This record gives sequence, structure tokens and C-alpha cells, in this order.
Amino acid sequence: MNARRSPALRRLLRNPTALAGLIFLIAITLLAVFAPLLYPGDPLGMEADALLWPGQDWHYPLGTDALGRDVMAGVVHGGRVSLQVGILASLFGVLLGLAIGAVAGYFGGKVDYGLQRLIEIFQTMPSFVLLVALVAIVQPSVPTLIFAIGIISWPTVARLVRAEVRSIREREYILAARSVGYSHLRIIAHEVLPNILPTLIVTASIMVASAVLMESALSFMGLGDPNQVSWGSMIGSGREQIRTAWYLTAIPGLAIFLTVLAFNLIGDGLTDAFNPTRDRASK
Amino acid sequence: MKILLTLGGALWRALLHTLPTLLGILLINFLLLQLAPGDAADVMAGESGSATQESLAALRSQFGLDQSIPMQLWHYLSNLAHFNLGYSPRYGASVQALIGQRLGTTLTLMLLALLFSLLLGIALGMLMARWQGRWPDRVLYVCSQFFYSVPGFWIGLMLIVVFSVKLGWLPTGGSGTIGADLHGWPALFDTLRFMALPASSLALIYIAIYARLTRASMLEAGAQDYVRTAEAKGLSPWAITFKHVLRNALLPITTMAGLHFGGMLGGAVVIETVFSLPGLGRLAYDAVMARDYNVLLGILLISSLLVIITNVLVDLLQTWLDPRIRSRR
Amino acid sequence: MSLTRRQLLVYAGATTTLLQLSPRFSFADEPPVRGGTLRMHIAIEPPILVNLTHTAGATVYIAAKVTEGLLTYDLDLNPRPQLATAWTVSDDGLEYTFSLREGVKWHDGQDFTADDVVFSLQTLKASNPRGRATFANVASVTAINPHLVQLTLSKPAPYLLKALAACESPIVARHVYGDARPETHANATAPIGTGPFVFKEWVRGSHVILERNPNYWDAPKPYLDRVIVRFIGDSAATVAALEAGEIDISTGGVPLSDIERIKGNPRLSVDDRGEPYVNSITRIEFNFDNAYLQKHEVRTAIAHAINLDFIRKTIFLGYGKPLYGPISPDMKNFYSPDLPRYAFDVAKANQLLDEAGLARDGNGVRFKLTLDPLPGPETYRRTADYIKQALAKVGILVTLRSQDFASYVKRVYTDRDFDFTLNGMSNLFDPTVGVQRLYWSKNFQPGVPFSNGAHYSNPKVDELLEAAAVETDVQKRFALFAQFQKQVVEDLPDLGVLTLVNPVVYDKRVKDFFVGAEGLGSNGAQIYIKG
Repeated sequence: MNARRSPALRRLLRNPTALAGLIFLIAITLLAVFAPLLYPGDPLGMEADALLWPGQDWHYPLGTDALGRDVMAGVVHGGRVSLQVGILASLFGVLLGLAIGAVAGYFGGKVDYGLQRLIEIFQTMPSFVLLVALVAIVQPSVPTLIFAIGIISWPTVARLVRAEVRSIREREYILAARSVGYSHLRIIAHEVLPNILPTLIVTASIMVASAVLMESALSFMGLGDPNQVSWGSMIGSGREQIRTAWYLTAIPGLAIFLTVLAFNLIGDGLTDAFNPTRDRASK
Repeated sequence: MKILLTLGGALWRALLHTLPTLLGILLINFLLLQLAPGDAADVMAGESGSATQESLAALRSQFGLDQSIPMQLWHYLSNLAHFNLGYSPRYGASVQALIGQRLGTTLTLMLLALLFSLLLGIALGMLMARWQGRWPDRVLYVCSQFFYSVPGFWIGLMLIVVFSVKLGWLPTGGSGTIGADLHGWPALFDTLRFMALPASSLALIYIAIYARLTRASMLEAGAQDYVRTAEAKGLSPWAITFKHVLRNALLPITTMAGLHFGGMLGGAVVIETVFSLPGLGRLAYDAVMARDYNVLLGILLISSLLVIITNVLVDLLQTWLDPRIRSRR
Repeated sequence: MSLTRRQLLVYAGATTTLLQLSPRFSFADEPPVRGGTLRMHIAIEPPILVNLTHTAGATVYIAAKVTEGLLTYDLDLNPRPQLATAWTVSDDGLEYTFSLREGVKWHDGQDFTADDVVFSLQTLKASNPRGRATFANVASVTAINPHLVQLTLSKPAPYLLKALAACESPIVARHVYGDARPETHANATAPIGTGPFVFKEWVRGSHVILERNPNYWDAPKPYLDRVIVRFIGDSAATVAALEAGEIDISTGGVPLSDIERIKGNPRLSVDDRGEPYVNSITRIEFNFDNAYLQKHEVRTAIAHAINLDFIRKTIFLGYGKPLYGPISPDMKNFYSPDLPRYAFDVAKANQLLDEAGLARDGNGVRFKLTLDPLPGPETYRRTADYIKQALAKVGILVTLRSQDFASYVKRVYTDRDFDFTLNGMSNLFDPTVGVQRLYWSKNFQPGVPFSNGAHYSNPKVDELLEAAAVETDVQKRFALFAQFQKQVVEDLPDLGVLTLVNPVVYDKRVKDFFVGAEGLGSNGAQIYIKG
């Protein structure tokens, strides 16, 4: 395992765009983690004059919003929620997809047929409409957003996992493991999973990116958590002032953009790192 | 004639195959919507700002909400068996009519966005593959990443500010000049003018996906033996690109485009909101908010059918693109 | 009409003041022009175009242009003729007669008669959600002759004469409905009326087109050739459309923060008068079933802890008037100006909570509450954000809950699973119609939206409201409502925040759009475009 992963990691670190993504992501994660220390107090607190432009008052370097809330504090604290939603929703989606895909691929037959129909159902429905319906039912809060985004993002993973599992389940080492009497769960966890891990990691990094985007789109439609500031909710509450104070949407928009970009760059870097032969073959 | 038969057969098979899927979608959503707090009568009474027990009871009976849930489901399905999507008391119109009024706008939006993203995405992908690893590849890569990472609604609003308010070139929203009664070319031109910004906003993310997909599959196809043979025969690089490499690279792209159709309708919800387009996405959103389930189920059904039809078309296209698939059948 | 010299002077004086106050008012010096299309914007698409068997707020902006009412109202809510040319009310307030305008034709060419009025009023009484209450005392409606209608009441209804505007009590054509159930009749979405504009088309999600009625009874009106009503939900898109010149007049869709900027636009102007027929207010309503909010000290403390001035100035940017009680100060005939007030005083609030025995815990929290703001308007969301912050200062930890409209209505009015809520309400044209429903203990009806959500019950208030509902003497009725207001402010079932205005943003070429109590919801015959 280690022998396989570390050259991949080394290749990842040698890729300049992926490295840039990684560095940015680490920085934003640190900011988010240490937000309560950097900006103690509620980021929704209304302390300053309303609608200060960035740079107008260096106490509030990124300005303040219509209620006099510090945009910088919002961005830092908002990163916590956005990353939390992005990462946890993807994790939930990956786990769900992994479970369903592995079961379908491993057992085959009727189970596979049924689960495949389920995957198809979720892939045929317009996902954002389903997301809106789900959020309307459970009512927007951070945990429910994570749940709803996870629910609509698992099918991609499930398809992927199912295909991989099907392709390797007849291989000798799996058959051997089976004949030794290992349990299904153990075989899946120990023999099948490591094989699909690289693909999963790549998919997950892209899923985080789209989960962050989905959270922002939901907030834009007014379906975000009102108690916690997130980049999406900052855009949502600043969009009425898009003409008078465009920085209120542009700054969190930029934060979303850069974070999503970072995840995508890392995802691309990982693809290259895990398949070092692919690009070389064409040369 | 033969093509038509093949097409019909493929469609029929696809429909039979997807009938359980369609039924599943309806059932899941029907049951899901029962969980939502509040019903259509609550919304209508709330909007009117005044209501009495009697007026609420009257509303509930109009929506059929006074019946048990299994009865409601049974009514819906038996209507459906007669190709009747039901009636919306909220809009005072049949669901067919409501969807019919809006389908055109959404289809135009989606097809334009698809066309735009395919053309631009493939072109960008080809350029990237052609100069793989060199600076045009890098620059275009960053561009495509930008397209992929920026929220569509934000770009939409910015496009409105720049092209409609500042420059005054394109309308801010709507699907056509109201009350103009245009036909033929002027009508087409009018539609394009109104759809340019929303279609671009919707297409953005897909441009990035197709560009990267084209690049990857062209590089893969370029390494195949038959391309080497063609190179050996002395064909010009561009001829090889178009005749052999691109043709093969189109396979995964068409597969993805088929898959993206459903996703695009979801994206249309946001884009139609920003550009105030009277489309299906917005109708679906309003239906969720108003708890108007007949309308929502109707839209889900129609959009699922659209996805299925798209997949059949993609299959046919792939048969045409790749003779190997044909011989396999 | 003969005016005495004195009256004439008073009238002239008033006119000059009006002219000085609002240059928009145009009188004979500027004759109206015929022609042109008015492109009007409303933010919410209404489900119907006639408020006959159902009512919806956004409908009023379109309805009255096609379907008229018996009366219309001036800015002080005095009745003016529309389909009725004259009316009398008996001294006991139990008999009303309306002489109907002659020579009026429906858009399909048939004659308008008393039968139509009888049918309309009976249908309103039978199935309109508000009409059921408004016309409850109307025992019979009879056509004396084709141009005279008589209403007989079982009890006086002093608000009745105010309830006859087109948007509130539309007069529809009996022959169009025939024997069909009015609830599901297509006239609700493709109306035939007597109004200045004829319904042409409704493309859902996009627009409604109305064409000029060439046979309108009030020739040479209407001045406009055509009215296009566009529905744009997104506020940024609305502002863009206004600035790009794609719409001429907009109500309810422009964010207050953009209004200041728009005032700098040489082409556009802003009218921030509230509609006297609607009188919208914003208020914080407490749930009396909550253990904390039951306590009068707690409600009083909350009233002292919230800086209503901040809300009005920072969140509503100065639009709207302070609201000290249950009745909007714009309802001049009912508003009592000398009500007790709760000054912004955090120390006092803390003191009250201490006295109530609600001590702070280690984190400085006395107790927790959840606030449900009415979903939708951004201003409400911001106000809720502010309330959360303000109450934190007195040790009340507030959680905000966001949900869609259906969930909100269900939660507050059916499940009653809420602590306190921030919502908007219309006082309408008369407190018996618009205010009583919120405070009358008999209107505590779980399941019915916008009823007595507080579960407030005070026999004295009930008595006052019931007496005012049948009091025909104007002075006595005012006194009853003054007592009612004082009692409600004392009891604090809700805390008034401010009156709500939906500023109208319009192209300066559009003239005379706000001439009566209905504001933009008037029939629009007098609107013209010039310049």
C-alpha cells in the first residue's frame, strides 16, 4: 500500500498546479480551523457601520455588510461551514455510494438489478430539483444540507464502485479469499476497497467541489442555514446589493471559486499521480 | 424507413426497460412529498392572507387532499394510465397545459447550452490536446477550471450587469419580446437574443467538462495503433485529428452529454430564476414551494422521459460514430 | 356641485399644498395623452386574476384593470363611484342601496345589470375567504330593477362600504359563470369584466397582456393602448430590467438598498407611499403557549431590548413609519396616537428579566427561544438576524429557523410549534376586517393561516372588538378602537415593528398611477405616458 501511494504523492507534489491547490486548501483549512481564535465572537454580530467598502476602514479589511457585519470574519467563519458541508456531504455520498455500489457489484443478480434501478432513478431525476424538495422537507440547517447533498451525490460513486467491483470480483485473489472463508465484508474492505481507492479519492475531490457549489446555489435560492454564516449564505444575503455593493457577493464568490478550484486541481493532480502512464503513452 | 424502425424499436425497448425506473421515480417522489410540512391549501390560504376553516376545507377538497394517501396515489396513477397528468387547482389549468407552455423555453435553453458547450468544449479540448503540455494547454486548462469552479448564478448576474445594463446589447431576462408576435427568422433571432446569456451561463460548467474530456480521450485515441498507421501513411496531423481521433473521442463525450441532460434541468432552476425565464425548472421549484404535487410529479415524469429519449439518441449516435459497437450488436 | 366660497378656498388651499408636496400630481395644466404601452412589473405571479372565490395579494395589481367593483376610493378612503353611481345607507345601518351605471357593457358585448351584482355579492359571501366574514351580516341582496340593488343586513357592518373596491369585491358577469361552480371556473384565469382593459393572454411564469377596451364607459379613458404585466422574482434581475428600460413601473421587487441608487437615475423616480387600502405592517408575534413568553415581564423585556429605530433605519433604510400598536398610523380614522411606548432600554430589559427570576447561567444565558421569520423578504431575514443579536445582549439565546412558506404556515398556525415569529400583516381598509382577526379570542383557530396566532385571549379586548364591529357612530367606534389599542399595547401579544411600504419605482414618463386608495391596484384608466 505505502509503496504504491508515496510515489503517487511525490508525483502529486511535483505537479505545480496541484501543489498550488494543495497549499491554498491547507491555508483555507487552517483559517477555518482557527477562525474562533482569529475572530472570536459571533461572525453575525453587528458591530461596525453598515456597508463599509473593503479598505475603507482597515479594522475591517474586507468591509462590512448591510448590517455592519465584518466580511473578513464572515469569510473566515464561513469557510468552516462551507468546507464542513462540502467535505461531510461528499463523505456521506461516498460512503453511501460505496456501500450500495459494492453490494450491487459484489452480489450481482437480483440485488444488483434492484440497486441498479435505484441508481438509475436517482440519475434520471433532475438532481437540483430533488435537492430543493429534500431541503424543503427537512428544512435548511447545516446537518440537513449535508444529508440532502449527500443523498443526491451518491449515484456517481455507486456506479463507479459497482463497475470496479464487478471487474475484480472474479479475479483469483478474491476467489481465493472466498474459498478461505473470509466474510463478504472483510473481502470488500480488505481486497476490493484498496483497488478502487485511487478512483474514489479523485471522485471525492470533485464531489467536494460540487457540494460547495450546491450549498451556494441553495443559499442563493434562500435555502441556507440562517444561524451560521457560510460563503453561500453570504452571497445569498448580499445579492440584493449586487449593484450597490458588489464586493458582498464577489468576495465570498471568490472564496468559493478558489476553494472549488483547489479541489479540482488536486483531483486532476491525483488522476495524473495515480495513472502516471496515461499521459506518457501519448507522447 | 429502416432507420425509423430501428429508432422506434430502440425507443420502445428503452421505454420498457425504464418503466420500472419511471414508476420508482413517481413513487419515491410521491411518498417524499407526503413528508413535507404543509400542503397546497396551507400555501394558498396563507397567500390570500385570510381564510376560514370552511375555505380551507373547500381548498383541500379541490386538491383532493381530503382523501387518504393511497387513494390519492391511486387516482394519480389511474389518471396517468390514461395519459392524463392531472389538474392543478392552484393554476386553474391542466398539468399538461402548464408543462406544454413551459417545455419549449427550457428545451431551447438546454439545447442551446448543450450545443454551445459541446462546440466550445470540443474545440478547446482539441486545442489543448494539440499543444499538450505546452503553454496553450496550460492557459486553456486554467480557463476551463475557471468555468468549472465559478457559481453559475453569479456569472449570470454579472453577465446581466455587463451586457444588459452597461452595454445594453441583450435583454435582462424573459424568453422573447412580449407581444411582438414574430414568425420565421425574426422569431429565431429574437429567441437567440433572449437566450444568449442564460444559455451561456448554463453552458459554462459543461464547457469545462467537455474540454477536459475531449483532451483526455484525444490523447488516449492518439496513442492507438490505427492512428500510428495513419501517421505512417503520411496523412496531415489535422486530417488525422478530425477523421480518426476526434471521431473516437466523441464517444465518451456523447455518453456524458446524455447523462448531463438531467443535471442541466436542475441547473435550469437557478438560471431560470436569474433570467426570469418561464421554464420547467422554475415551475418545478414553484411547485415544490407551493406543494403542488401534480405539477411536480408531471415535470419529473416528463424530464425523465426526456432523459431516456436522450439516452436512446446517444446510443444511436454512438452506433454511427463507432462501427465496432454496431457489429457487436 | 355648488361650493360655497369658503369651501372653495379650503379646496384650493389643499390643492396647492398637494402640488407642492408631490409634483407628480398633475392637474388640468397637463392634459393626458392617449396611446402607449405600460410595462408593469410585479415580483410575485398571482395564481388567479380575479379575487372572487379566492384571494391573493399579487392579484390586485392586475384584477381591477379588467374586472371592476361597485366603488373606488380616494386617498382618504372616501368612496367614489365606479360601477355604482350613487348609494344610500339607512340610519340604522341595515339597508344599503346602490344605483348602477347605465350603458356599461361586458367585454363580450353583453349588458351589465343588477343581476351581475347580485350574483357577485352572493358568490363573495358564499366562497371568498374574506368575503365570508365581510358579508356575513348581509342577509339578502336583491335587484329592485336592472339598475338598482338593495342589500339588507341582519346587523350593522360599518366597514361594508369600504369593502367594495374592485380588488376586494369584484363584480363579475353572471352569464359567463352560468350554472358552473365558480370555484373552478376559467374566468378566474381569463377574466371578462367591464374594466378599461380587456384580458388578452397570460403566459405563466412570464407575463399578462391587457389591451385597451375601446367601449369603456368612461371615455376618453383609458389612455393607454396596452398594459403588459411582467413577473420577475429575482430582485437583482428586476433592478437590471428597470435600469435597462425594459419595465416602466415596478412594485415590491426592488431592494430598498437599490432604491437610493435608483433615485440618482435621471429617468427613474420612486414613490414610497403605502396603499391606504392595504396598510401593511410588520410585527413580532409571541406564542402565549410558550412557558417564557406567557410571562408579561418577558414580553415587556423583549420590547425594551429591541431597538426598533435601528430596524427601521438600518434594515428598512428609513422606509416605513414607527408602529406603536396594532393599528397602522396610516389608518387615520382609527389610529390612536397616545399609546404607551416601550423605549429601547437594555438595562430595564435585564432588570425585568432578573425580577422575573430568570437568572443567567454560566454562559450568560437566561433561556432559549426560536424565532421563525416569515420566509421570503430579505428585510425580514435581516430583522431576524438583528433580533437574535439584540436579545443575546439580555441573555436570551435565539435560534433562527429558516423554512419555506408552506412549512412556516403549517408550523405557526397548524402545529403551533413556534416560540415567536416575525411576520407581516395587512390591516386593510378597516380594523374589523384586517385587525380583529389577529386579537379576537374566537379567531384562535389552529389550522387557519393568519388568524390569532398568539393564542391571545382577553375578554375586554373581545368585547371592544365585537362592539366596534357593529357600531355605526364614527366617534364611538373610534373610541372603542382607541381603548382596544391601549389594551393590546399593554398586554403585548405582539410587538409592532413598523409600517411596511413597497416603494414603487417608475419611469418619470408614467403619470397618474397613484391617485386613489388602491394605489397601483386601481383600474388604471387614468394612467398615461408622456414625454
